[in-house]
Amino acid sequence: MAKYITGALDKLKVTFDILKQNGGIRGSLYQLFRTDELKNGTVVGTDKYGNTYYENNRYFVVFLDYDGSQVPAEWYGWLHYKTDLPPTVKPSVKYKWMVDHTENKSGTSEAYMPFSTTKSKIQAWDPNARKE
Amino acid sequence: MLALRGTLNAGLVKALGINNNVPVLSNVLSTSSIVLKRNQTTVPQTGAEQNVALDKKKTYSPFQNTNNMAEFAVARLDDLLNWGRKGSLWPLTFGLACCAVEMMHIAAPRYDMDRYGVVFRASPRQADVIIVAGTLTNKMAPALRKVYDQMPEPRWVISMGSCANGGGYYHYSYSVVRGCDRIVPVDIYVPGCPPTAEALLYGILQLQKKVKRMKTVQMWYRK
Repeated sequence: MAKYITGALDKLKVTFDILKQNGGIRGSLYQLFRTDELKNGTVVGTDKYGNTYYENNRYFVVFLDYDGSQVPAEWYGWLHYKTDLPPTVKPSVKYKWMVDHTENKSGTSEAYMPFSTTKSKIQAWDPNARKE
Repeated sequence: MLALRGTLNAGLVKALGINNNVPVLSNVLSTSSIVLKRNQTTVPQTGAEQNVALDKKKTYSPFQNTNNMAEFAVARLDDLLNWGRKGSLWPLTFGLACCAVEMMHIAAPRYDMDRYGVVFRASPRQADVIIVAGTLTNKMAPALRKVYDQMPEPRWVISMGSCANGGGYYHYSYSVVRGCDRIVPVDIYVPGCPPTAEALLYGILQLQKKVKRMKTVQMWYRK
């Protein structure tokens, strides 16, 4: 019996911890609306997009605007358990030839648009072209 | 600092563009300068890249530049409508081939699409989005079109896998439609053969993003 009571009290404490960390009732509702999830954990660091990385038994990230492509290369390994050392502890090696990480730009004006390298099958009629 | 270590390092510093003294550069061994021109240095950069400032704070709504109260109200109505729509995208089960197995995986507990409000429906009249999973054959094409036509507006299409995207492996077959976008308008293409369940889930999240940008009420107001 005592087991169930302490178990329930533990759950209650976790609930209050989560509410407290997400900024009270109002903040928690906002967080739920934005990310569909409520969690608590210790902050490990933030990336260049402003996403915060947490640790609570497991590693997770809370996005400002959730999209999996926003995880930069230096955080990727930590988030996917390839290493236990986050870039805040062990900064990743940077070379001059490395390009900056970009998120998936689909749906924005900067979206990737491929262009065809083959010759067009259709030849448009040019009214101003001189007759041979 | 690097220049003190010897001529090679001195050349390295110069070739990196820190010092543009051309006559000194010509003294360096030609091989090393070629390597450096191709930008393959293995000397790590230090500092400099830290603290990239956030350009602007990310907002929930994509409709930020409103000019007056009416536009603001209409934009918020759109936000509300889109929030409802993106939180309950009900796909129609349209599994045609092996991609359908991956489509089953996202419904299963590991990837669990139900947490995004994505619940499979068996009837096109209850569905918002159709996931075309697999090879679309000529014989199946009229059925796909019929099913798509039975779906109520607004409706979306996710094309899943190489075969649905553009024929894939069966592109040169006599009996296969070279991409389901020849039959129905496609919103999201998920590449892969077959795409992983994660890829399809990412596709669904991308569709949610697309739904978030819909301007239903705003277009009504503008007219």
